[in-house]
Amino acid sequence: MDGDKREKIVNASDPLRFHWSLSQAGDKFRRLRPPEQMPGRLSLESQLELCRQGERCGIESMLMAIGFTRPDPTLLSIELGLQTEKMKFMIACRSGLISPTYWVQQINTASALLPGRICVNMVCGHTPHELRYYGDFLSHDERYERTDEFLAICRALWAAGPGGPGVDFQGKHYRVEKSLLRTPFVSGHDAMPEIFVGGNSDQAAALAASHGDCLWRFPDRDENLRPHCELLRSAHKQIGLLVSLITRPTHEEAMAACQALLAQFNVDARTNHQRFASRSDSVGFRSVYASAVEQPEWLTPWLWTGAVPYLGPPAIALVGSFQEVVATLRHYQSMGITQFLFTGWPDIEEMEYFGKGVLPLLYQNGVATESQA
Amino acid sequence: MRFHWRLVQRGEKQLMTRSLREERFETALPDLETQVKFCHKAEESGIDSLLVDINFATPDPMMLAGALASRTRKIKLIVAVRSGLISPTLFVQQVNTFSSLYGDRISLNVVAGHSPDEQRCYGDFLDHDTRYERTREFLDICRRLWRREEVNFEGKYFRIEGGRLNTPFVSSQRDHPETLVAGGSEAACALALEHGDCWMRLADAPSALAPSLGPALQCGREVGLRLSVVAGRTRTEALEAAHALVEQTTLQKKEAVTEQRFVSASDSRSIAAVYRSAEKEWLAPCLWTGMVRSHGAPAIALVGSYDEIATALLEYGSLGVTQFIISGWPKLDSMVCFGAEILPRVRAKEHKELVHA
Repeated sequence: MDGDKREKIVNASDPLRFHWSLSQAGDKFRRLRPPEQMPGRLSLESQLELCRQGERCGIESMLMAIGFTRPDPTLLSIELGLQTEKMKFMIACRSGLISPTYWVQQINTASALLPGRICVNMVCGHTPHELRYYGDFLSHDERYERTDEFLAICRALWAAGPGGPGVDFQGKHYRVEKSLLRTPFVSGHDAMPEIFVGGNSDQAAALAASHGDCLWRFPDRDENLRPHCELLRSAHKQIGLLVSLITRPTHEEAMAACQALLAQFNVDARTNHQRFASRSDSVGFRSVYASAVEQPEWLTPWLWTGAVPYLGPPAIALVGSFQEVVATLRHYQSMGITQFLFTGWPDIEEMEYFGKGVLPLLYQNGVATESQA
Repeated sequence: MRFHWRLVQRGEKQLMTRSLREERFETALPDLETQVKFCHKAEESGIDSLLVDINFATPDPMMLAGALASRTRKIKLIVAVRSGLISPTLFVQQVNTFSSLYGDRISLNVVAGHSPDEQRCYGDFLDHDTRYERTREFLDICRRLWRREEVNFEGKYFRIEGGRLNTPFVSSQRDHPETLVAGGSEAACALALEHGDCWMRLADAPSALAPSLGPALQCGREVGLRLSVVAGRTRTEALEAAHALVEQTTLQKKEAVTEQRFVSASDSRSIAAVYRSAEKEWLAPCLWTGMVRSHGAPAIALVGSYDEIATALLEYGSLGVTQFIISGWPKLDSMVCFGAEILPRVRAKEHKELVHA
């Protein structure tokens, strides 16, 4: 890997922030299975273990994903939050599932139970057939249009607060009248949660720029990331990467870890993801999957797509020695990419490598601060 | 007979009128310490479940119930739900998640909403009967998901294709959560017959109540009553307590005006009926309406000595009523008193009747 070259263009701005996905806690190869066979009950012990390890390893929040294969993310966040000290929970939401007013009420209640520990991740779904399980029949672009209205109402409710005037809104997808909630969002400093918006499409970037604080997207070659980086920067918003992490003390060990990972897969998993990709209307899922099967498995010297055909697009991985990963993170920071949402295979071990190997180097370099985590 | 109690909300030290609840904002935040203590006292008092209300002025009942279940071991929570707020699939996912985390400790109180103004806050613009029609579709879908069918449903309000969830409803007793359907209207009763386990309605005099219970009982559904209890060692003591409760507020007429406004804006049939019935102060020897016009329809109360109240509850029992959701004030003391004084009398009388039968 070409670490030196990248270090030369570092221009640190915002400190880096790190988050982790809770998705696979206790079920490390969950994604090898077809969705219908993924267990809908997970080990609370494993989830708590990952949260507690995250608290020790500089992880600010856990992503609580949403979908038919999982428990409800808000209730699960409350349970995990009541049993941990400071871990935050990034609760995913899809706009077609719940009234914006009622969702704000659920989120505000969660924040009152776990003050300062709730943020949200707006997503638009990735597979139409799954969205229909919930009664959502809109197309990709219509879903973004609806989510725009959804967030407009949520933000108005948060801005108005418990004693504010009622919110009136009449759009194409939503209508509320004198909408008001007495339960406030509780954080100690902010009137509303930090809002992440997930997606690789231009609609997702536009939504993050208008109603969000940070865009989550999959990584890509730098030239393909730059347009979204520029858009978000001009809107004074942040951009972050949703990426798997494979880091070891040395470059050779990291490469060996990639090979060891591949050795565990069989052809069935490949077929499952082929089927999944063919049914998805997510721009991000489709493009990462396509590049994984059509192009060389190294998109850049540090971005590996080798596991994507078996584990799906979230398995696109940032790979390298501790030093190399630090260089890569600083490189992204120089592009304005300041937040990272990691997945590990498996999570506990990878988080350990990150916390003990990568994080101290970042602290030394002053690109992440301990108070941040 | 099973007895449930309404959960105490933050700051509810005394009987609160609608204007107090909605203007003080105190009830809007959870108060876990007080509420967990309340749950423990409920467990000790022989209370089966605690009702967690849904409205714009209190925390979300599902999330609050989750937190309470996390901090307790035994008490069950009755979570209120309205159909216009959430996809039935996501709702079932929340119920199933709750049961996966905390076991067989969740049941549902299905309500249709009682205030069109409040429904519009949530984006629900349907009228009374149409809300029941939608709730019928909602519960139909929920029930199918609980039966673990692949759900294909095309109704007037909901459309689901291939619906399924991987997180199951977890219970040693049943395949779906016990479902109370609340409301005094025919639409509510019909819904309880079709998709409920128990029809919940506001109390009335036994003679007036009896004819309405037939359909539910004949269909094998339970019937439950929502009411308040004001008890004392003697009838005189209870009456004094009841009047003291009202005097806290009716000295200022404001609360009565607020309640009257609420009732006239409400489209709930039973709230209107109970309000009307409060023209008469006593509907039965122990059934008092003195608080209804200042404190709302659920303040229709059994007032009397411990023995009188136990007898009145058993009289309802003899008509086929098997569940009660009770309010009392102060909330904690009245519940503890119910557990210590009234419940043992009810159980003893039940036992006696059983022996005689």
